[in-house]
This record gives sequence, C-alpha cells and structure tokens, in this order.
Amino acid sequence: MIRIVTSVLAATMAMSLPARAEDLVFLSTQLRPVEEAQKMREIILKAGPVLTTYVADFPQVVPTRLAAEREGGKHTVSLVGGLHGELQPLVTAGDLMPMDVLAAKLAGRGIPPALMELGKLGTAHQMYIPWMQATYIMVANKQALPFLPKGADINALTFDQLAEWSAAVQASTGKRMLGFPAGPQGLMHRFFEGFLYPSYTGGVVSTFKSAEAEAMWTQFAALWKTVNPNSTSYNFMQEPLLAGDVWIGFDHVARMLDALRQKPDQFVAFPAPAGPKGRGYMPVIAGLAIAQGAPDAKGAEALIDYLSTPATQIKMAQTSGFFPVVTATLPDDLEPGLKLAVAAIARTQSAPDAKPSLLPIGLGTQGGAFDKIYLDTFQRVVLRGEKPRAVLDRQAEGLKKIMAETGAPCWLPDKPSQGPCPVE
Amino acid sequence: MRRSLYLAGVTMLCAWTLVPIYFLALGALGGRDLVNTFPKPFWPGSASLSTIRDFLAIDGVTGATITSVETACLCMLFSLILGLPAGYALARFSFRGANAYRLLILLTRAFPVAILALPLTVGFIRLGVYDTPLGVSLVHTALALPFAVLVSSSLFQAVPRELEEAAWVFGCSKLQAARRVVLPLALPGIAAIAIFAFVISWNEVFAASVLTVRHRTLTAYLLTVLSESPLHVQFAGGFVLILPTVAFIYLVRKHLFAMWGISNR
Repeated sequence: MIRIVTSVLAATMAMSLPARAEDLVFLSTQLRPVEEAQKMREIILKAGPVLTTYVADFPQVVPTRLAAEREGGKHTVSLVGGLHGELQPLVTAGDLMPMDVLAAKLAGRGIPPALMELGKLGTAHQMYIPWMQATYIMVANKQALPFLPKGADINALTFDQLAEWSAAVQASTGKRMLGFPAGPQGLMHRFFEGFLYPSYTGGVVSTFKSAEAEAMWTQFAALWKTVNPNSTSYNFMQEPLLAGDVWIGFDHVARMLDALRQKPDQFVAFPAPAGPKGRGYMPVIAGLAIAQGAPDAKGAEALIDYLSTPATQIKMAQTSGFFPVVTATLPDDLEPGLKLAVAAIARTQSAPDAKPSLLPIGLGTQGGAFDKIYLDTFQRVVLRGEKPRAVLDRQAEGLKKIMAETGAPCWLPDKPSQGPCPVE
Repeated sequence: MRRSLYLAGVTMLCAWTLVPIYFLALGALGGRDLVNTFPKPFWPGSASLSTIRDFLAIDGVTGATITSVETACLCMLFSLILGLPAGYALARFSFRGANAYRLLILLTRAFPVAILALPLTVGFIRLGVYDTPLGVSLVHTALALPFAVLVSSSLFQAVPRELEEAAWVFGCSKLQAARRVVLPLALPGIAAIAIFAFVISWNEVFAASVLTVRHRTLTAYLLTVLSESPLHVQFAGGFVLILPTVAFIYLVRKHLFAMWGISNR
C-alpha cells in the first residue's frame, strides 16, 4: 500500500515539477464558465505577448487573495480582470497600481472618454483600463411572437405592452411563460437597479420610495402573475429558454447567448422594455487592472495593450458575448446567434429613449447590502404580496444608512448630488 | 411478506444511489439536446463520449488532475502517519485527558474554513507552502485527521490485547509487536481510513481554491466554474468528478465491509 502511494507520489511530483515556468498570472472574475475560460486560454491568450496562466475565480475570493498576498509579502497575481464594481474595493484596499502612462499610450484606441473616466474609480489616477462591455437584453421564442399586442414594435416595447403580451401568451397556452433570473445566483437585482427603477422613476436611489416607485411595484407585482413561478430558481435564462419552459426572458446577454447560439432560428433578441421615464438600461463594464506589487507589471501592461487592440476585441466578442470597448467593426460573417445579440445590444444603446444607468459607484464593500435592499423589496412586495408603501418606507431606511455610511454621491441616472446621494 | 418488504427496501436503497448517477450519466453522454428534453428517454438515442472528451480536453485539466492525485495521496499519507499513532495511543494507553483529547480532535472540524481563509493564506505564504500541493494537503489532513484518529482508535481497540502481549512474550519489542501483529489485523480498517482521507481531499473545494493559484486541484479548478456552465458541461464534469471516487471505493470494497465487520463485533 505504502509502496504504491510513494510511487504514485514520486511519479506525479516528477510530472509536475517542471511547472509552467515564469508565467504571468491573470486573475479574472469574468469568463468563468468552462467553455468561455477555455476559449480565453486557447484562442485569446495563447496568441498573446506573454505566457499567461488564466485563473478564473469568484468575485468574493479576489479581495481575500490580494489581501493575503499583500500581507504575506509574496505576490503571484499580476493582472486582475473584473467588473467595475468588483475592482472598486480593491482600490480602497490599495491593491491596484495606478496606470496613467499606459492609459495615455492607449488613448488612440478609441475607448469612450466616459468609460475611461469610470476606470479612475473616483481617484485622480487611471486604476483600470476598460476591457469589454455587455448589457442585459430580452430573448423571446418565436412561438410567442403571434401573441404580441397589436401595433407593438418588439424593438420598442413598453412595460405595459410586455404585460399585455405575457398575459396573452398565458391565456392561450395556460402557462406562465415570462421568465426572470431571480434564482440565488441570478442577476435579478440588476433588473431593478438598471432597468425597472430608471424606466419608471428616472432614478435609482433618490426616487427609491417615490410615488412613481409605489405605482411601479404595484404594476410589477401584477406582471408577476404571468411570470413563470420557477423564476425564483433560474440563475441563467438560457436553460429555461432552450427547454421551452420560458418563452420570453430577460437576462445578461452572456447568460442567454447559449440559447441564441444553439437555436438562432428559434429565438429573437430585443431591447428591454421602456417605462414612463424612458428605456432604462445598465451597461456592464469589465476592466483590467494591475495588482500592486505585481511580479510582472511589464508583462501585464503588454497584455492589456494586446487585449485592447481592435483585432483581439473582435475575437473576444466572437467567443464570449462581451463586446468591444474600443472602436472596432464586427465582421459581417458573425455566427447567427451572436449577430442576434449584437443587434439587440446596438438597438438598446441607440434607442431614442435610452436611459443609461450605471452600476453602483462608490459603495465599496456595501455593494452587496445595496443589492439586497432591492431584492428584499421585491421579495416582500411581489412574492409575499405586502403593500408597496409600507415596504418602501421601511427599506428606504436601510438604503439611507448605506448611502450615509459610504457617502457615495449619486450616479446616473440619479441627478448629481453634493455629498451622499439622498433618498427623497 | 417479509421477503417482499426486504426486497422493496433493497430496491429503494439501490435506487437512492443509482438513479442520480444514472441521470448524471444520461446528461453526460446524451449531449446538448437531451439535457433540455423532458421526459427523458430511458436510453439516449445517440450516446457519445464527445461532451466528456471536450471536457477532458479543457486546458489545465490534466495538470489539475495530477495536482489532485498528488494532494490526495499526501493527505492520505499524513493522515495515516499522524492518525494511526494517535489512535493507537487512545486505544492502548490510559492517560490523563484522554477524553478531552478525543473531543479536542473533533474541534478541528468546528472552524469553518471560510473564516480561516485570510489568516491561513497569509500564514502559508510566510511558510512558503502557498500554491503547492503540500500546503493544500496539510489543510486537508487537518480535516481528515479527526476521522483517522477516532476510527483507528476503535480499530486498535478491536484487536485483542492478548495477541500483542503474546508477541511481547515471544520476544518482540513493543514497536515490532505493533507492526507485525496489530497492524496486519487492522489493515482493512486502515485501508478505509486511507480512502476517506483520499476522498475528503479529492472533494474539498474551498481551501484548495483559496490556497492555490497556479496549482489547483481538479475539484477547485472545475467546481469554481462548473456551476455557471451550460448544463451538459455540468453533467459531464459531475460524471468525471465522481468516477475516481466510485472506482476507488469499488476497488477496496472488501476491506470496507471487513472494517464494518470489526467495529460491529
């Protein structure tokens, strides 16, 4: 027994000793799913300027790891990739390196100034370089199209029309076929923060308990009566769409791409609906940052440079469902599923009534608590059927506390504020 | 009547373990489309290994498998080296605080690894075992040790003291007696301890993913990403991850039953 164990050990040690030499560690919270990570490694990074080990990790683990490496005094991570909101706490902890020189060098790539500004994360220096962007869209099964309300344009839908549509589908099939990703790993909170609130109230924080918000929750609770009750267990909408449990779904584009890719003939993709105050939508922005004390900062810079070339950005779009932040024209021969997604995103961004709503800015480690305010309100008003007014007043207290503690000023779509964003 | 009840019980128990494995296999072998169809056919129309092959072709899976085996073997080794003497001492010697010691051993499982993550990582970096199979196996050993100590102590208790004493009479030193007489008798149980140590290490995710960057174990490498992958990939991954444990337990099943025989005596 022991002899077997020792020989196995000796063999594996011998095989693993010539470890991937002095490679650069790229820690990323994005492109985690096996297939995407695989494409990232095989297609994008293999052709890159430096030998890279791509490590995909959960967002919660990243700050712990960087803090441990800082305290332990041995750095392995050079490049960090993550969403805007995930990089923010790293700046507060002092784990990112300013990169103004690189930012100046990349000025000609055509990254929109507004995005570059976001990359400063409220400091005077460039803390991350925008890497890729995405947003949330809606996907519908073509079988649902005949039930569209008369005169409705699917690319300029309103919430009222969506409710009518979903009710018509239910009346005809006897099933609740609208779906939202309200499962434990789902991104439902972004629907409230980036779509529902801005569309109905024109704000997210300041209008939290306004009369418009009250009306909005009442209407959304009514809409929920046509929503598939399994929605509270959906994390990704692509599976229920493919399985035919849901005909109309809302989710992050990357989380529905699989459905569009597998059956591009069966689905249509279109922008999220508009409310009385416009068509709220939340752009999702991922950035690349260099870890403080990075063992290979030069290599990380070279890699960022490479990842933000138009050619690489186009390749990324083809493999991942994230879209370029630089000026780049996507080729015409895109695969059909991707083409649907690209078109829906473009229509969202260029809609005349578009109302961009940013991810929360300046909340630091309170981001989770902020999301929970919206999810709890949803739970109580929609799932448990409580009166919106009482719930909003109660939850607004929690929201006020978070804003006061973090001192975060308003971000879009709320009007700019002096000091912490007020909950009016 | 009794017989049919007995049979029903056996069928239920078999179904309890086999049905999930069957669905797992069906999902893994049936390909993308089958995963989303319901009701599922009993036998997939076109069983193919393509999903599993794709899965195994993922960059780094081979490396992670090697790391996993390495870590699990080290964990097994440490658990035996540390656990058997401790178990022997608990079984054979009466010393002050033996009961407290038993309890104390269980306490190592009382601390959630999630809370220990940061200090543990910092400590491991300072010790120079961060991002090595050795480091991960140390944590896994800590997790497996209570089991190793308690089970081996009951194993050694089950070996009659008279046999050991007889060996001393015939001129064995204490160490020789333990090695030549007690150890062979306890071997099946020891094999079981080794398996459990192996399986605990193989399945553990959290410590393995926090303490490593380049050298991830297979479970850490895949599980962090598996939950967010398309269903058919999840099925393939699940299938691949349970195979080694099932195979391992199948190989040593005789010893396992033998151990339960001893401890039931």
